[in-house]
Amino acid sequence: MKVVRKQDTRIPRRPLLWLAAALLFTLPPMFGTLPSWVPLLFLIALAAKFWMEPKGYRLRSLVWKLVLVALILSLLFFSYGSIRGMEPGVSLIVMLTSVKILEAHTAREFHIMIMVAWILCLCGFFLSQNLAIALCLLIAFTLLLVALIQFHRGPLSAFWSPVRTAGKLLAQAAPLIILLFLFFPRLSTGFRFQIAPQREASTGFSDRLSPGSVSFLANSSEVAFRAEFPDGKIPPLSAMYWRGLVMWHGEGLEWAAPNAPAALPRTSQGTPHGQAIRQWITIEAHDARWMFALDRPVNSPSGATLAPGNYLWSNQPIHKPRRYEVISYPEIPNNRLHSREREPLLEVPTAISPAVRALAQSWSAEKAEPRAIVNKALEFFRTQGFHYSLSPGEYGKNDLDEFLFHRRLGFCEHYAASFATLMRLAGIPARVVTGYLGGEYNEIGHFFLVRQADAHAWCEVWFPDSGWQRIDPTAAVAPDRVNLGFNSFLERRGAAAGHLDNTQSVLARELARWPAFDRARLGWQTLSYAWDTRVLSFDGDEQESFFASIGIPSHRQIFLIVGTVVIAIALLLALYAAWTHLRTRPCGDRLKIMYESFCRKAARLGAPRNPSEGPFDFSRRATRLLPDESDRIRRIAKAYIALRYAPAPDPTTLEQFAEEVNGFVRAS
Amino acid sequence: MHSTLLAHERDPEIRFDTKKQIAAFTSQICEVIVGKTEAVKLAVACLLARGHLLIEDIPGVGKTTLSQALARSLGLVFQRIQFTSDLLPADILGNSIFDRNEQRFVFHQGPLFSQVVLIDEVNRATAKTQSALLEAMEEHQISADGVTYELPQPFFVIATQNPQYQVGTFPLPESQLDRFLMRIELGVPDRASERAMLLGMDRREMLKELHPIFGAETLLDIQARVRTIHTSSALLDYLQDLLDASRQRHRSGLSPRAGLALLHASQAWAMMNGREMVLPEDIQAVGIPVMAHRLGHDIEQSGQSGRTFADALLNSVPVP
Repeated sequence: MKVVRKQDTRIPRRPLLWLAAALLFTLPPMFGTLPSWVPLLFLIALAAKFWMEPKGYRLRSLVWKLVLVALILSLLFFSYGSIRGMEPGVSLIVMLTSVKILEAHTAREFHIMIMVAWILCLCGFFLSQNLAIALCLLIAFTLLLVALIQFHRGPLSAFWSPVRTAGKLLAQAAPLIILLFLFFPRLSTGFRFQIAPQREASTGFSDRLSPGSVSFLANSSEVAFRAEFPDGKIPPLSAMYWRGLVMWHGEGLEWAAPNAPAALPRTSQGTPHGQAIRQWITIEAHDARWMFALDRPVNSPSGATLAPGNYLWSNQPIHKPRRYEVISYPEIPNNRLHSREREPLLEVPTAISPAVRALAQSWSAEKAEPRAIVNKALEFFRTQGFHYSLSPGEYGKNDLDEFLFHRRLGFCEHYAASFATLMRLAGIPARVVTGYLGGEYNEIGHFFLVRQADAHAWCEVWFPDSGWQRIDPTAAVAPDRVNLGFNSFLERRGAAAGHLDNTQSVLARELARWPAFDRARLGWQTLSYAWDTRVLSFDGDEQESFFASIGIPSHRQIFLIVGTVVIAIALLLALYAAWTHLRTRPCGDRLKIMYESFCRKAARLGAPRNPSEGPFDFSRRATRLLPDESDRIRRIAKAYIALRYAPAPDPTTLEQFAEEVNGFVRAS
Repeated sequence: MHSTLLAHERDPEIRFDTKKQIAAFTSQICEVIVGKTEAVKLAVACLLARGHLLIEDIPGVGKTTLSQALARSLGLVFQRIQFTSDLLPADILGNSIFDRNEQRFVFHQGPLFSQVVLIDEVNRATAKTQSALLEAMEEHQISADGVTYELPQPFFVIATQNPQYQVGTFPLPESQLDRFLMRIELGVPDRASERAMLLGMDRREMLKELHPIFGAETLLDIQARVRTIHTSSALLDYLQDLLDASRQRHRSGLSPRAGLALLHASQAWAMMNGREMVLPEDIQAVGIPVMAHRLGHDIEQSGQSGRTFADALLNSVPVP
């Protein structure tokens, strides 16, 4: 058996290089989603393989393998506290793959590595599904194909020919991929398979507005949602308030939205005024239930309700990107406010200091007209040295005094919260609305990209004549924030102050000034948008409406058709395979079949035949490797050669040959 | 070893005799060319297959000695021609000279009219002379002044050439390389063989002492019998698989003539091993010398020599 181990095939270098390249492309989804030691160890294993392979080193000892696996399991347990769940599972696969890389050295194991790498591609999709990752994984997939082709072609093939073949194969598969994408049954009801990992609730929007909660988002370039205006009616940037949540419950600087809002009764919705603006919004998954629409939505898309305060509330947490259509009107006059409703809108916490109360009361005592009071308050913010700042320092929820009279430094949430509290103190019903303001227009894809950094909070006060009216105290303090959008605002201010306090690097800024880069960036966003809206959001419902559009009424029917077609194709393929198998192996060639069974047995015993090895050479080698069976092997080879190559073989030889082969195969 | 394994009972007398003769012939040459048994056996196979032999190597490894030893051991009429760049076709084919006594042109046969022709440094002559030689090799006849002269039988050309990177050579075009059944390389002898050669007699003296093992009649008889060595359909399948594979992998694969060459050479090899049938192993044994010089000129993959191609072919085409 020693001899057999010696002829272990070393994996040829070129397929190994292709495989390594493919594995590198499976890495990007792991960074950022898995603990960083997982992809790093994977990279180290890959590098070690290239160092080990030419030297013939490999992980052989079973003890070491067990130790490594135990180590991996304990590391995972240490990182996650459990090895259950998506991310620990993927990490486990990645780590076991690294061990396999260190261990593998035969052709069979090379194939296993390719298969495992394909599974890694799949795992990448579990971790992240955006366009960049999808492209990475497509490249990885192609490279794996190339590695397999290269492995089977051998070293003589030209360098690019496996790549060409792989491209050809993928191109041939493309129609099938599209067909399966469109027609493969999608699970949309009942059992829900959650692919995306649970996000931490702290990133992104929140249903509580507390000091620092919005400015925390100001540095995040993560996409919140994208909006399209299909009718081409685009409001000006300064009026582009994306309504998210309405907060009724105020505690000084901290405001909160109701946990589970009821649906807004149709009767109290009021009649909208002005121009209807239709929007298509594709929201990113955030695992909560708020949805966004331009101030203010009047209808609710399917699967969502219009909550009191005219904001959208999803019936299910949004675990994957979702696209919906909504219509908004700039104004919805509603001058009925029942006293029962009015009361809670004037509630203020008891902890508010007398100074603040005195300030509000001084305005209401001076002017009785609510609009005049509002103006008075805005003037207060405008003239009393308030500054708009990303880093206003820490405030507690009762630090209203500190903010209003001493520090006078705040971000939009401070202004909105304090303004609403002051209005309530002055006897005007007020509430805080959180959402986003503005967005970046993509002129290639004609959509607005709204990032987390665009998060904003503003106020609404109730006037007896016109109903709820949007008041943005931030606009009084820093009008450019509203007119220019957040990034331009920061840029201008940074340039004025002589330094950049944004986290964006100087390089990124320089690149952004270069028009071609800007166009490329917009183009990429457009592609990415198309990927999200056309590919990722194609779920069971979308599929059903697609079926309806091509005239198939029920999805049951299509599944029946698809199932039948798939089974029929599989049956035909099986028949074809069986037929070619029978054709290439004629029944009359008993001699060859027997010789092959002899070779298989010899291979099991440790003397595999090279396909290019003649019978005489093989028998000589086999007798050396299997001295116990040498006589029988010699007799078999002699008979085979006589039967196959001699001028007029003796018919009795075939029987003798058959006997010898049977004896050899049965021998233990 | 071969005879014990592959004893074929038909006509054992002749087979045994022939094998012994060939073995004696081979071992006599091996006495002169020390440590090159494989190359000598291939050269003998080439002779038995009625092919012409091309020996390529650097000067001084015994190319000329090998060809002289072959000629002398055959007891045939032997001529040696040193090719130079000013050699003209008439110098090797012969001249018509006006005979004053008979008042007509008389053809004087050139050195090519012999049974074993050793051509030293065939790639030093110009293309004109080379093609005259190669035509004679293929047709076994010479045309001069409108008259066709048959060359003697057997007719065996051994050409030696220096590797083509050497100065002052005219590389043989591929169409003409194809006319040589085999191309072999001798290579520097190993240390022990070289020591034996340094200690032993002068090679020239040894050449003079060689005696013919068999003559022209026997050689012609053996050559005729080589062609009758049985080739089963399984073997021809393998041969054609090789040809197909070479054509698929290389822009100019093996020609049908190359296929015949491979067949004849493997038949000769089988006979030398005392077999009445050709095995895939015979094809593999002669495969590289027969195929390498025919595959070496593939421009697309010029980085690798024909030898590597031939080797890869033999190692990758499965034996059916």
